[in-house]
Amino acid sequence: MSTVESRPLIGEGISRVDGPRKVTGAAPYPMDFSVPGQAYGTLVQSTIAAGRIVRMHTDEAAHSPGVVTVLTHENALEVGTGPASVLGASPPAPLRNDRIVHHGQHIAFVVAETPEQATAAARLVRADYEAAEPLLDLQDPRAEHLHDPWGMDHSRGDAAAALESAEVTLHSTYLTADNTNNPLGLFATLAVWDGDTLTVHDTSQWPSMVRASLAMAFGIPESSVRVLVPYVGGGFGAGLRAWPHVILTAMAARMTKRPVKLVLTRPQMFTSIGHRPSGVQWLSVGIRRDGELVALDHRSLSSLSMEDNDFEPFSSGTAFAYQCPNVITRDEQAKLNIAVPTSMRAPAEAQGNFALESALDELSYTLGIDPVELRLRNHTDVDPRNGLPWSGKAILECYEIGARRFGWSDRNPEPRSMRDGNWLVGYGMASAMFPYFAQPCMAEATVNRDGSAFVRSAATDIGTGTYTVMAQLSAEELGLPLEKVRFDLGDSDMPDSMMAGGSGLTGALGNAVHDACRRLVRSFVDLVRDDADSPLMGISPHDVECSDGRIHLMGCPDRGESYVDILARHGTPQLSATGSSTPPDAKEIGLSLAGAYGAKFVEVRVDPDLGLVRVARVVSAIDGGRILNEKTARSQIIGGTVGGIGMALLEDTVTDPRTGRIANGTFADYLVAVNADVPELDVVFVGEPDRGTPTGTKGVGEVGLVGIAPAITNAVYHATGKRIRSLPITLDTLL
Amino acid sequence: MRDVASERDVDSRSTVNERVVTLDVNGRTYTLRLDTRVTLLDALRDRLGLVGTKKGCDQGACGACTVHLDGRRVLSCLTLAAQAEGREITTIEGLTGADGPHPVQRAFMEHDGFQCGFCTPGQIMSAVALMAEGRAGSDEEIREYMSGNICRCGAYPNIVAAIRAVASGGGHDAHL
Repeated sequence: MSTVESRPLIGEGISRVDGPRKVTGAAPYPMDFSVPGQAYGTLVQSTIAAGRIVRMHTDEAAHSPGVVTVLTHENALEVGTGPASVLGASPPAPLRNDRIVHHGQHIAFVVAETPEQATAAARLVRADYEAAEPLLDLQDPRAEHLHDPWGMDHSRGDAAAALESAEVTLHSTYLTADNTNNPLGLFATLAVWDGDTLTVHDTSQWPSMVRASLAMAFGIPESSVRVLVPYVGGGFGAGLRAWPHVILTAMAARMTKRPVKLVLTRPQMFTSIGHRPSGVQWLSVGIRRDGELVALDHRSLSSLSMEDNDFEPFSSGTAFAYQCPNVITRDEQAKLNIAVPTSMRAPAEAQGNFALESALDELSYTLGIDPVELRLRNHTDVDPRNGLPWSGKAILECYEIGARRFGWSDRNPEPRSMRDGNWLVGYGMASAMFPYFAQPCMAEATVNRDGSAFVRSAATDIGTGTYTVMAQLSAEELGLPLEKVRFDLGDSDMPDSMMAGGSGLTGALGNAVHDACRRLVRSFVDLVRDDADSPLMGISPHDVECSDGRIHLMGCPDRGESYVDILARHGTPQLSATGSSTPPDAKEIGLSLAGAYGAKFVEVRVDPDLGLVRVARVVSAIDGGRILNEKTARSQIIGGTVGGIGMALLEDTVTDPRTGRIANGTFADYLVAVNADVPELDVVFVGEPDRGTPTGTKGVGEVGLVGIAPAITNAVYHATGKRIRSLPITLDTLL
Repeated sequence: MRDVASERDVDSRSTVNERVVTLDVNGRTYTLRLDTRVTLLDALRDRLGLVGTKKGCDQGACGACTVHLDGRRVLSCLTLAAQAEGREITTIEGLTGADGPHPVQRAFMEHDGFQCGFCTPGQIMSAVALMAEGRAGSDEEIREYMSGNICRCGAYPNIVAAIRAVASGGGHDAHL
């Protein structure tokens, strides 16, 4: 057993380098930017879910005080569609035609001198519609289905035959609600044209994608578009796409020849930037009486909008979560008249894991095997899909250390056996993982003559700590104190980065930073290769290391010199190098790339008279590979845990079944966890650096959420004897 | 089919009504000619450039816009600018003293009481007021009286830790 070792600097719980700006209100978010002469945009959205616009009435609005223009499909600029990405096709262009495919679709854009004037005028825009009956029910037989839209369906062995002959079987259906990302920062776009050059401040987790989308929309080169986003008020997936309102704001700015700023309202945040789709899952499990899994058949149907894509393969994790010889996973999506779903923290895995971990818990009672023990019996050190060993999977440590910290052995296995006064007490647990994901990434590192360093990439820090951990990593690679290193991001003019999503950025960007710093050190060594005044003359770049602002012979700190001395002697103001990373090929390295793993242990209290569920404590034991910063990594896990508490107990985007209108699109009606809902959360990191990548990190942005919901419902079962298979848990189901 | 909601609003449309409003913000006096519909939040952000106060819902439900009026916490999105006339307004920008950040600001950094940082100005303004209200006596009390401030990143346990640290260190009356 080992806890992750902290090397000096790396791993330390250093406070965020952007902390001083954030606590003083000085950190500028996209909505905080303004430019002289800017006009303000407001969206008008459809009040039907399906059909077409017969006529738009815009005269009154156009003549309202301060109004600059009113855009509808009748006068909008025709724009191109952006590029496809790993998340699917680009969202449809705005105001293309008279077709309505969901309630809350943008049908007009009012531009006025002030926000108040724009808002008032937007209320004067009217539409005559020819309404059609909307498809809103996930299981409506008329809905078109996409089968295996991501090519991730999996099959091995013969699940049907194994289920037929299994000693014990379980067939269950699980429901999960629509959840809405709801980052606290309202999404904002400020678009400024200068001739055919466009500068945009935009709430985005992926500036390079927004740049590409805007360039294609307006038929201009990417080099003519600059997307700036130094700070993001949260995203949780909502900022991974170039949404129609972004294109619309740039379109309005182009047509009015004015800078235009748009800030979405909170209700518009429910219809304009995606949400976690609702789903139904059918899971059949075949298992031996000794607890060995013999068959898993996991199918899902989730909701999709009419004209867009969403990456949401619910059942895909079941293909490799456990050792099991006979597995089938199948995912389908049903096209409905709803606003577009999108990735929300731990997409697909949050839902699929809920089904699988609920079923295992249920079977633990059927078989009389402790829930932790049942999982141990089905552990696999190799990826069952390809037979390769995992690059890192310390889930056994997660179980062991998590259970010990939690006091799992104090659990009386009998349901409804533990009480504290009137409260029923329940202990529940679940395994968690979030699969490996990475995209190509670049970074540029520079050392200046004064010995300071500047490293940059067009990434974003959505609160994960990218500014901080990348500065730490750069400082370590270059052998500089942290205060000498600045990491900059949030500008599409910088070297291309991958999205801040899929728990992939820390790994991919970290590896690019590692590469850039190595190349930079090599440039310094190359510079002095023939320099008789340098103690490094003739030394191979492979034989050096860096510390205290100096490059020196490995293991021999005396034989070397400082960056400052080298640059001064050569009359060079600075040296730069660009580095990159690409996801490694599993076959080439002989390892299946592992994401983060975890074990979650939860204690709940249930009031038997009211059906009220309170989470009393949570222990999360996490294998996140090498942890760059204990403080920010822990915050990622507690943040995910809070999201998981919301998913289990509170969050449910309710769509009116007749009109398709979201009925609870405000923070007063859509409940998220608040401070009083959250107890002390214990987090422990275990494992070792991942073997698949140079920096050894795994992303920890999503694994914190996964497993919390089933651990809670499993604890509720232990407390009450009632098995909940539908999220969120509502009071009535426990009475 | 007509858009019923829009029709209802047609008659209530307003032409611009303006008035001169004098605001005392962070010890400075500003005189502004404002549309009477302008909230204190929008006046601070759009007219005075004090963008540290955040808009998270504009409906009084998230707490991101929390400022102090005469030392008490209020939601600036539910307060018209005109209502704040003659009162002492303190925003996050006014919390940092000559001797550096307020103890609560320092504690939020030390305990990582934020992630994306967007709700943070409102959290800190609430936290400072909460201590003045005498509501930082226990973790339960802190959780309850900080529950008007949503943190979607889920930094709540660290926010509680930060407030607890300042409250137990006797720093509750600093700057107040």
